[in-house]
Order: sequence, then C-alpha cells, then structure tokens
Amino acid sequence: MSIKTRYKNATAEHIMLVFLIALSGIFLVEPVVQNYPLDARIFPQSTAAVVFVGSVLLLAQNYLPKPVYTFVAESISVTSTTAGDDQESTEDDEELTEGDEESTDERTPRLGEEYGVEINDTVFMVITSVLYLLLGWAAGLFFITLPFVLLYTLWFRIPWYIGVGLGLIATAVIWFFMTFLILPFDQGAVFDFSPFLPFVIDGMTITLERAVETRVI
Amino acid sequence: MAVESFFEGLSIALSGEALLWLTAGLLLGIVLGALPGIGSPVGMAIVLPLTLPLDSTMALILLIAIYSGAMFGGSIAAILINAPGTESAAATTLDGYPMSKNGLAKNALAIATTASALNGFLGALALILISPVLIEVVLAFGSPEYFLLAILGISLITIVTQGSIVKGLVAGALGFMISTIGTGILSPRPRYTFGQFGLYDGIDFVAALIGMFAFAEMMKLAAMKQIASTDIELGGSIREGISTVFRYPKTTLKSGLIGMGIGMIPGSGATTSTFVAYAEEVRSVGKDGRFGEGDPRGVIAPEGANNPTVSGSLIPTLSFGIPGSGSTAVLLGGILMHGLQPGPALFSDELNITYALFISLFLGNFLIIAVGLTVIPYASRLTEIDTNIIIPVVVVLSFAGAYTLNQNWFDVTAVVALGVLGFYMVRYNYSIIAFVLGIVLGPIAEENFFRSLQISGGEYSIFIDPINRPLSFLLVLAILFILVGPFLKPYLERKIDRA
Repeated sequence: MSIKTRYKNATAEHIMLVFLIALSGIFLVEPVVQNYPLDARIFPQSTAAVVFVGSVLLLAQNYLPKPVYTFVAESISVTSTTAGDDQESTEDDEELTEGDEESTDERTPRLGEEYGVEINDTVFMVITSVLYLLLGWAAGLFFITLPFVLLYTLWFRIPWYIGVGLGLIATAVIWFFMTFLILPFDQGAVFDFSPFLPFVIDGMTITLERAVETRVI
Repeated sequence: MAVESFFEGLSIALSGEALLWLTAGLLLGIVLGALPGIGSPVGMAIVLPLTLPLDSTMALILLIAIYSGAMFGGSIAAILINAPGTESAAATTLDGYPMSKNGLAKNALAIATTASALNGFLGALALILISPVLIEVVLAFGSPEYFLLAILGISLITIVTQGSIVKGLVAGALGFMISTIGTGILSPRPRYTFGQFGLYDGIDFVAALIGMFAFAEMMKLAAMKQIASTDIELGGSIREGISTVFRYPKTTLKSGLIGMGIGMIPGSGATTSTFVAYAEEVRSVGKDGRFGEGDPRGVIAPEGANNPTVSGSLIPTLSFGIPGSGSTAVLLGGILMHGLQPGPALFSDELNITYALFISLFLGNFLIIAVGLTVIPYASRLTEIDTNIIIPVVVVLSFAGAYTLNQNWFDVTAVVALGVLGFYMVRYNYSIIAFVLGIVLGPIAEENFFRSLQISGGEYSIFIDPINRPLSFLLVLAILFILVGPFLKPYLERKIDRA
C-alpha cells in the first residue's frame, strides 16, 4: 500500500492518535529540556509514557503479531468469554451515528444553502462556537451572545422571534453572571464596549417587551 | 458520633434552603432528563460552576437532586417517543414505548414514576443503614491504597465499558497527564505551562468536565436528526399504573437490588444496571411474558433499577473518590471544587454532610412521586423541544460557567478543545469516563503516590508488601487480575476443557 493510499484511508481516529503521540511526546521531553526536579517529572512522564506507547500500538494495530493484536484491539471483559474486535464495533457505531444523521430529504434546508453554502451541522456548531469564543474574548461575551444565538437559530430556520427571545435570555444569563458573580463579560481583551452597556440594556428591555407583545397579539 | 452526625445531617436536609435546592434540582433534572440527548451529566456539568457561590452541602444536594431527577426524567422521552432522554433509560424504551402505542402511555409513565421513586427510597435507606460499615472500611485506607484505588478505578472502567483495554488505559493516562499541567504538587514549579501565566493553575477539571460532557454532547446532538414529535396520545390511567407496580413486588425489589449492586461497581452506571435488571426479568418470567410488546414488568425492571443505582454509585464516589458513571464523575468534581475530599474526611469530620446528602436523596423520592405524577399529562411537550434551540444555550452556559471558575480564557478554550477530543473519543470507543476520572483524580493520585514513597523512604515495595500492607497488595492483585485476567481466561478455559 502506497503512502498516498494510506493517507487517503486515514480516519479521524488516526489523526487523533497522531495528536496524542505528539502531545505525550512533549510531556516526555519537556521535563528533560527544562530540567524538572525528579518529584515533578515522575508522574507526568510515567502517564505520558502509557499514552505514547498505547497510542503507537493502536495506530500500528494492523501490523502487530496476533497475541499483541489481541491485547491492543480486541474487546474482552472479565464477565464474558467472547472476544470481539473493537474496530468492528467502532465501525458499527460509526454506521449508527451516520444513520442518525438527518438525511437531506427530511431536514429543513439550512440558511446557508440558499446562498450555496453547505456545511455539516456539527462542523457549523464547532465553527460558530469557536467564533463565539474568539469574539467573546476580544469584545466581551455580553455583546456577542445575542448575535451568536441569533445566527445559530436562524441558520437552522428557527422562527426569528424564538431566536431573538432565546438570544435575549442567553444575554440575560451573561448579565446575571456579570452582576452577581462580578465577572467582566462586558469588557473584551481587544475592544471595550462597556460604556455602551446601559444603552444595550435599555434597548434589550424594549425589544423583549415588543417581542412579547407581538407574540401575545 | 455516627448518630450525632445523622441528626445533624437530618436537620441540614430538612432546612428550608436544602429543600429549596432539592426541589429546584429535581425539577431541573426531570426536564433535562426528558430532553433527548441532554441527560444528567450535561446538566450537572453546566450547573457545576454556578454552584460556586453556594455552601458546599447545598451545592452537592442540588447536584444529587439533578442526578436523581434526570434518572426519572429520562424515562419520559423513552416511553413517549422511543428516544431515551438519558442512556440509562434505553432499556425502558423496550416495553415503555410499545405500552404507549397500545394506548397505555399514562400507565407506563406512572409505573416509571412509582418504581423509580419506590426503589429510590429503598436505595437511599440502604445507603444510610450501611454507612457505619463503610466508615470502618474507608478508615482502613492509607496513601498507598488511595493511589492504587485510582489505578484500580481506571482499570475497572476499561473492563466494564467493554472496549479495547488499551484504549481505556490511554484515555485514563491521558486524563492523568493533562492533570499535571500547572504548578507541581510537591515542587512548587510550573510544569508544561510554556510561559503562559494562565496555565499556572492548570486546566480546571470542571472545565474538562464541561467540555467532555456538555460540549462534546452538543456536537453529538448537532449531528443527530431532530426527534419528531410523537403522534401518540396520552392514554391510559395513572392510578392503574401505580397499582401495577405493587402487583409485582418481587420484580420491583429485585430490580432495586440489581441497581444498587451494579451502581457500586466503578464504571458501570445505570445503563448497565437497567439492562441487567430487564434481562433478569425476561429470564425469570420466561415464556409467560410479553416483553417487547408492552409488558409492564419490562418498565418496572429498568425503572426500578435506575434510582437505586444513584445510591449505589455514591458509595465508591464518596468513600474512595471513584465515580461509577459520568454523572458521579461530575459529582466528584463538585465535591472537590467545594474543598471537600472524598474518603475518610467525608466519613469522619464531615459525616453530617454525607448524611445530609443521603437523607436528601431519600426525601427527593417524595418529590419525584409528586412532580412525576403531576407532569405526566404535560410530559409530551418536553420531548418536542427542538435540539437546535438547546445547543446555543448550552454553549453559552458552558463558556460562561468555565470562565467563572478562575476568570481564565484558557479554561474556556479547554472546554472547546476537550469537547472536540471527547466527541471523537466517544465515536471511537475511548472511555471518556476513564479520561475524566484521570483528570479529576490526577492530583490526588500524584499526591498519594509521593506520600507513599515518602513513607517508605523511596521504596516502591510499599505497594506490594503483603505483610505490612495487605490491602495494597490485594489492590495490586486486583489490578493485575482486571488487566490480564480477560486475556488468560480463554486459555485457561481451553486447558480445562482439554483436561
């Protein structure tokens, strides 16, 4: 099998294992480079060694001799004698997960699809969450929460008034954190919009009242 | 002392504040449990940082109430839409949903409420009664034993989750490894911080719990299709449902015992106990049963097992710091976050807190009956909530909660990073319970490891000394048996067969 074919056959698990090997490698090398004292290095290095060796074995499981393969890949329990291939069960799980995913025929088209943008729902969730984290750090979670919730709900075609209501509730939760736990969610590391806070709160109260009126009427 | 602490615990549990948090937790738990894909670990993980301003006992009562409420709440979605709200309710779908289709949804929900609460009483009562014995056992453990218990806990989890042992060990060791980031325990020097001051306190284990349970679960939920609202009408009778449970006392009691027994084994949560209780009922009834077609005993068995599992799982969690499930891992996080230590302290100086928790668990079952039977007519509405509404709210709460811990953006970043890692770990059968256990118990294990070496003057033989430390020796044997036993078993069986 050529390197190109192997690369093509790589799954997310292989990528995860390579990441774990690299991470545990850092945990093994860093104490030596930085000259950690013995009592500060034994425990992390021992655990990193287990992660390193285990990940290498899992990554190379198809090339291992039978007895080692049994230990690495097969699912065996003290309560059962039947040894099953863990890889098979993972594949089954993957099929199930894929089966659970909404087929394009049944689901409501996402907002982006109108503009020719197609993104997997999980990927969209992670991307928007990372953006929410970055913008929250830069400009303050208080100001970013409403746009985040609104974007997320509109993308999935949830009625706008539910999105606005939900966004306002989420912002109110952030405000609760700010006020009662004294957290600086109105100040970002890059932008400081805190002087606008009183205007935003007034605006939100009015919008919420209108949204409630619209629903009631 | 135990009697005195019991009455102190009783007065705490009966105080207005405790009852308020108990009620709030149960209601929240029932709602979270009823929402497919949410469940108790997610709910508890999100609420955990919010409990910071609370008194430790009240915070733990709230968390235990969410856990207990979600156990029952999970059955609502299982019975009405064939989609268990929590994994532990999966066995309830087998006969609960067919009962709903047969026009007996109210009966099934009433059976679930009554069996869950009734055995919940018995489980909590058993917990209170056996606690004097537990105290003796817990006090016999020292530093080497606590270190070995952490290793035993992870080893047990790798076996009980029935995946590849190596995957379980990698997950547990990874958790231990991540827990070492930050200032060292014995030498106060920063480790793996790479000059970032934000990492000096390490990655907060609560942020890890939020990432692993809340964020990863939301990623999973985003990939799943929206569960359609059911056409099933809420037919049947609540009263008949309640009386059905009392018609099968043997089934109810047996499931309770199974739930409690399995709950005590680290790594085997209510998912295992409910399926074992169901399978045992099917086996014992034999051909007389109509299992899979709406036999009420098929609802009594799993529902009767789920709440006693909570009681059972509190035993290893509180006594040795070894959680039995995702929910108890979060509970353990709550115990540590509030400055309490599982083990001897919770059974000596802080025994009143432990009793307050047990008594609250007992009282919570009254509320499960009251609330459970009241919400039955409205239960279906809970299951109709769009998951795309839940996801952004959980993300907002997770980020705000993680930041609250130390006002550190590294913790929020850890939520996302560990959430993504957790998502793939679950997908490829790596035990996230072992990982979380590693992160939560890492500092305790490291401290006890070095304390043991200090006691022995640096000799590792302290862990395998059958004469002076027989308990340590037995624990080492147990670990070896767990890790090597499954591989030797087929060879031994073949040899015996040949002989």
